Amino acid sequence: MLCLSSIGKTSCSSAMSTKKHRTPTEVVQKTRSLLLYSKNSLDVGSQMTELGSLIRELKLILYGDDDSEPSAEACATLTVEFFKEDTLRLLIIFLPKLNLEARKDATQVVASLQRQPLPSRFEASRYLEANLDLLDILISGYEDPQLALHYGRMLKECLRHQIVASYLLEPSQLKKLFGYIQHPSFDIAADAADAFKDLLTRHKSTVSESLSKNYCWFFTEMNEKLLKSENYITRRQAVKLLGCILLDRSNCSVMTQYVSSKDNLIILMNLLRDQSKSIQIDAFHVFKLFVANENKPPEIVSILVTNKSKILRLLSAFVYTDDEVFETDKIEVVNKLAVLELQD
Amino acid sequence: MAPDNEHDPKEKRSHYPLDPDSYQILHEIGRGCSAIVYKALCTTTSTVVAIKSIDLDKSATGDFDNIRREAKTMSLLSHPNVLKAHCSFTVGRCLWVVMPFMSAGSLQSIMSSSFPNGISEKCIATILKETLMGLCYLHDQGHLHRDIKAGNILMDSNGSVKLADFGVSASVYESSSRCVNLNEMTGTPFWMAPEVIHSYNGYSYKADIWSFGITALELAHGRPPLSHLPFSESLAMKIARGLRFSEYQKEEEKGAKKLKLSKYFKEMVGLCLDQDPSKRPTAEKLLKHYFFKNCKGCDFLVKNLLHGLPSVECRFKEATIQRSESMSDEDECLVGKKHRRISGWNFSLDSSSHPVKQITVAAESVIASANEGELGGDVVPTCVDNTVVIESLMKLKRSLDDQREKVMYMLAVLGTQEMNKEENLMQVIERLRSELESEKRKRTNLELELEFLKLNITNTSHV
Repeated sequence: MLCLSSIGKTSCSSAMSTKKHRTPTEVVQKTRSLLLYSKNSLDVGSQMTELGSLIRELKLILYGDDDSEPSAEACATLTVEFFKEDTLRLLIIFLPKLNLEARKDATQVVASLQRQPLPSRFEASRYLEANLDLLDILISGYEDPQLALHYGRMLKECLRHQIVASYLLEPSQLKKLFGYIQHPSFDIAADAADAFKDLLTRHKSTVSESLSKNYCWFFTEMNEKLLKSENYITRRQAVKLLGCILLDRSNCSVMTQYVSSKDNLIILMNLLRDQSKSIQIDAFHVFKLFVANENKPPEIVSILVTNKSKILRLLSAFVYTDDEVFETDKIEVVNKLAVLELQD
Repeated sequence: MAPDNEHDPKEKRSHYPLDPDSYQILHEIGRGCSAIVYKALCTTTSTVVAIKSIDLDKSATGDFDNIRREAKTMSLLSHPNVLKAHCSFTVGRCLWVVMPFMSAGSLQSIMSSSFPNGISEKCIATILKETLMGLCYLHDQGHLHRDIKAGNILMDSNGSVKLADFGVSASVYESSSRCVNLNEMTGTPFWMAPEVIHSYNGYSYKADIWSFGITALELAHGRPPLSHLPFSESLAMKIARGLRFSEYQKEEEKGAKKLKLSKYFKEMVGLCLDQDPSKRPTAEKLLKHYFFKNCKGCDFLVKNLLHGLPSVECRFKEATIQRSESMSDEDECLVGKKHRRISGWNFSLDSSSHPVKQITVAAESVIASANEGELGGDVVPTCVDNTVVIESLMKLKRSLDDQREKVMYMLAVLGTQEMNKEENLMQVIERLRSELESEKRKRTNLELELEFLKLNITNTSHV
């Protein structure tokens, strides 16, 4: 391993020079046939080395190396050939059998394929649309610590396609992510939270449509499982994400609905006095929406008025001067609260 | 070289439990500003590990994202010369990163305990070669280390060498960890490449190579070059004429000791310390340098470097005792730390009665403490003696002032006088702006106070 990795580049570039005649199309074809062969063969050990170097060759075509930038034309042919048949599925299924370096290379290859410029990118999108079940495999990767970060990265890259996002925004899929965000392993939980954030912020109209449709379910999950969690990191990531969702203009109607609920206000006010300063700050960015709401329901007004002096005192203790937005918002919240009175 | 099973990720990772109860903390072995390193026993696997506990709440959002990224990076690395994380999980507000325990500690700690004037060239060659292989791997994977120095090169009792601590918060795996030394917090300036200090084109692989060269000198002398000067002068020298290796040698030779370093060593270091980053060799190329031919194995290090060394715990304890005076009230602080928080909200909705009455108990206690005039910044417990902190801060400030003066002087010398007028104006604007800011802040505070008083008045009139 040591020798392999420390001289990886040199061995590869020499391999490249002897195999230079291989076109991108041929590399993909070779990889595919080897994957197919290995899938049915019992003794995979012997093919591993070759498969590893083929995948690295694919990566070098897509990313270039120290001496040369990737060629757009080569990338395009590679992408077309890759999605012409079921190569992606083979690669994903075979990933657990690869060694760590080959897994990382494979992940980078899959990532790059989702990021190709438009005509090629369409290939990827069309392929995934016809093979949405692959996303189930990727998402379930979070259950295996050995695969989580590889499949997770692939998943996030696939989220660039709207069709993928709309598939994953279904409650049944979101439910899985809600679970993985609470994974005890920090890197897995953080990666799942990243994917969750991408999913809920990237394709705005798809997101707002889905949130409106599944409003009750989604925010109950969010409140009960994440925001009320005992786990510091879960709360911290969740309140940050909630802010991202509600402050996005495209989610305006969802936001209005959210800030009209007494239960939501109670949760946010509790987070406002969390032991953690970071959580307090992020909670403030959601709390301000309740105060700014022009049509506050009476019960919200009542809670705010009842706790007015405490809130004011809490806010005055928040000193967070590096953040100008925070300071201006704070003043506005204070002013609004000060004039707030009970409606009879 | 490390044994083969060392880097089989499949084997290792799954073994370590993600639950603090499965680890028994044995000793503290390092301490930084937002992190502590412990030696611990993993009870389910019966292995000794090092646990780095990072307080996540002390890190700003940006750092938090970095920590998340680095944790991921670390668990995907696998090389015998790179310290990897077994696993990581959160315990309360802390992130625990479980790593292999490197029983001999960092080279910085080894030197300060037993080799204050540096270690032999043969040992250096072996250590640096191992380090360089780790660095090669990192660069090949597209990662920068950013903080190569003796304090981040760790050794195990079997003589294996690992590069540690990339990016994840402050470096703390050092016996003489200096939490109160604020100069340390500004980064590790003596190892920084000139282009990093200039920072016009950011940090590149080649900056790691510079730091690697400085680390070579550090190992040979027991401290980084120019570290006898205050940092500002080291900086000034680096910027003004570059740290030319020949000059550095001259300077060292003027000093009391005269080192007999081979010409290969000097040549290798000279290559790393080229002012022009593009002329420095890559890690891969450097590995082929003659200096690294015919290196001894790890056994040689065990015999010549690690033999008779006090344990990491002992070294840390010693270092702690040395600074214990300034930290004596630390434990007390930790136990007695107070979180002055709002006592609780009132969510009852039958507010037709007196809302004020329901909160008076809490409000009274609040007003009482508010009168003591400590409304702001009360949540963070101070763990160190204030005077020490202030002293270090003052020192830092003087050093910064000094640096600034020097930079101004150099700019003047370099003939940028025309710029000066504009710069002066910019400074004035800057000053005025900060004045405005503080005025604004004052106003807000006053408004708040007014609001508060008004409320009190209405409250009392109600009652």
